[in-house]
Amino acid sequence: GAGNAGVGGGNDFQWCFSQVKGAIDEDVAEADIISTVEFNYSGDLLATGDKGGRVVIFQREQEGNNRSHSRGEYNVYSTFQSHEPEFDYLKSLEIEEKINKIRWLPQQNAAHFLLSTNDKTIKLWKISERDKRAEGYNLKDENGRLRDPFRITSLRVPVLKPMDLMVEASPRRIFANAHTYHINSISVNSDHETYLSADDLRINLWHLEITDRSFNIVDIKPANMEELTEVITAAECHPNQCNVFVYSSSKGTIRLCDMRASALCDRHSKFFEEPEDPSSRSFFSEIISSISDVKFSHSGRYMMTRDYLSVKVWDLNMESRPVETYQVHEYLRSKLCSLYENDCIFDKFECCWNGSDNAIMTGSYNNFFRMFDRNTRRDITLEASRESSKPRAILKPRKVCTGGKRKKDEISVDSLDFNKKILHTAWHPKENIIAVAATNNLYIFQDKIN
Amino acid sequence: MLSRGVKRKLEDDEEIMAAETSGAFDSSSSLPYPQQRQLVLNMCLSKLQSCHMKVEPSLHRSVLLANTLRQIQEEMRQEGGESTLAAIYDGSSCTYNGGNPPATPAHNPELHSLLLESPVYPNNSSVTDNTMSSSVSAILREAGFVEDVNPAPACLGCSDSEELCFSSSPSYENDGDEQPVDSRSSDSLFGSFEISNSTSYLTDLALDDIFEDIDTSMYDSSDFSTVMSFPVPRSPVSSSEDTMKSFPTCISPSSNGIQICITDLNDLDHIMEILVGS
Repeated sequence: GAGNAGVGGGNDFQWCFSQVKGAIDEDVAEADIISTVEFNYSGDLLATGDKGGRVVIFQREQEGNNRSHSRGEYNVYSTFQSHEPEFDYLKSLEIEEKINKIRWLPQQNAAHFLLSTNDKTIKLWKISERDKRAEGYNLKDENGRLRDPFRITSLRVPVLKPMDLMVEASPRRIFANAHTYHINSISVNSDHETYLSADDLRINLWHLEITDRSFNIVDIKPANMEELTEVITAAECHPNQCNVFVYSSSKGTIRLCDMRASALCDRHSKFFEEPEDPSSRSFFSEIISSISDVKFSHSGRYMMTRDYLSVKVWDLNMESRPVETYQVHEYLRSKLCSLYENDCIFDKFECCWNGSDNAIMTGSYNNFFRMFDRNTRRDITLEASRESSKPRAILKPRKVCTGGKRKKDEISVDSLDFNKKILHTAWHPKENIIAVAATNNLYIFQDKIN
Repeated sequence: MLSRGVKRKLEDDEEIMAAETSGAFDSSSSLPYPQQRQLVLNMCLSKLQSCHMKVEPSLHRSVLLANTLRQIQEEMRQEGGESTLAAIYDGSSCTYNGGNPPATPAHNPELHSLLLESPVYPNNSSVTDNTMSSSVSAILREAGFVEDVNPAPACLGCSDSEELCFSSSPSYENDGDEQPVDSRSSDSLFGSFEISNSTSYLTDLALDDIFEDIDTSMYDSSDFSTVMSFPVPRSPVSSSEDTMKSFPTCISPSSNGIQICITDLNDLDHIMEILVGS
């Protein structure tokens, strides 16, 4: 049959298992749960953050180095503790060390830079390689002790000797104390000098070199907190217009702002909202309309939003409604009360574009994730599971049975495991390689090599 | 290398998952609409109440719950307020087909006391809008809506130090004290968190004005033996307020020093005689 052909590539396209990272055992330590996944601009580096505040960076092996079929595997490049748990003494509450977001900076020299953030503090990390060391200092001996200057009778030039590769991560900037509420987004600006950070009620603009102050560019906090009905859920800078950014809200709206218009961008330039369908109104309409992620296309012409049940693609020139809507798991609409009761309805799924903007991907429950081809309108459901984790095994499409007789290989809605949720996915910027975070495991899938 | 102390296990709520298969009114609702609504209302209240206060509760979640609560409240009010208050915590009448029944407000003594405005009795039909909105206000406060002090966030240069957060403390909902709630006290409760009011009092008031009404006519300049002038102290907030972390308030020194006059010795003796009573 057609199988999974056609999504994300040509008609012969099929996704295969490539690698899985993380512990296998059933007992999942909470600190190991992956909370963010992000490729860098070249796709050679893949960073993950977890609930324990750690960042693990994988690097793609150069092709042709080892076995010919390894085809660019990702191996651990660097691991470091980015954030530690803190305690807010005034409120007697913990500040979680969970990494909410990682964003790479474009590479400008041999070192790599990334921003990582927890609820309160953003840090700029420099990851650099060291594979040489200098030997033959004049003023120090081999152990590093200072020599007695009177004993130095001759001078020599220190030589660089090779050493085992060491990858070091060091915090270069710490951007703290600017957010009262929980940071949900960071986004590097196209000028490569500034970035924005957003919490529930405010958005700040930072300069990467300056840590002791930031511009507040959006503030939706009401004078009386009891009047609060809407929060900011995500924000992103435009990929090529450095004065433009968007932010989404818990009421399903997106605002596009132009920083040239005024210092405080409380008045939006564009306002995107789809009129509600009155026939599908329920107690949970507002909750499921809350946007959990917003991403510009690489071209900058479109943006994509994820709410609880669907993904929508918007043309930036049309505010009245999205140009495309994709149902992720419509079969959950009749289960909203249960999902509300077990809090799953508050899960925040992310979404991502492929490099050429013709396909989009997002996660679901039962370790399912969904991909939509914007050109062919085909969609596919795949599963990240240990069972289908044989090397280069082709992933079989999955199907959820919504009613009536369950066919073979289908799974009924009631059998879905709502503990296994795929919230974070990432797509390589240039190739058909995807990274899918399933609780504490990171799956990497690639297209089939013909 | 990656291990960091004690491993925390993922919470095992499989039994809840298993029970979820048939939710209360998931498919082709067998429950009548008012009871569906009651169920949602009960869950909403219990969720707002049961914030696990080890980590700061999510504002996003609290806002969504509060909006749902308001929506239901509004709907109920429009249908007629007769049995509204009774309906709010009459959770026991609502059957629940699947899973663990959520904690109904009637079983929750703190919430019960919050919803009762003194004295409102369960069957009292005269439920006012104030009662409803103050109940919602109380619940929102319980949900830990964070208050921060800085009223003017759009100021460059104040990112570092001043943001101060207050939220209802964990003990607030755990102690058994009946907290009488009405909209006046809730306003004043939030009002008391506005520390910036008191600091601005100190900064705005010119120090000369304080001493304006002191009659200094006794101390004519020709009689002064010594005149001492003190410059206005430049120190920012006093040490007793250093827990506030407000950004340094710069009190601009007034240009005039305060002149303190010392009387001549005769007057001093006179005063001493009066004091000693000789």
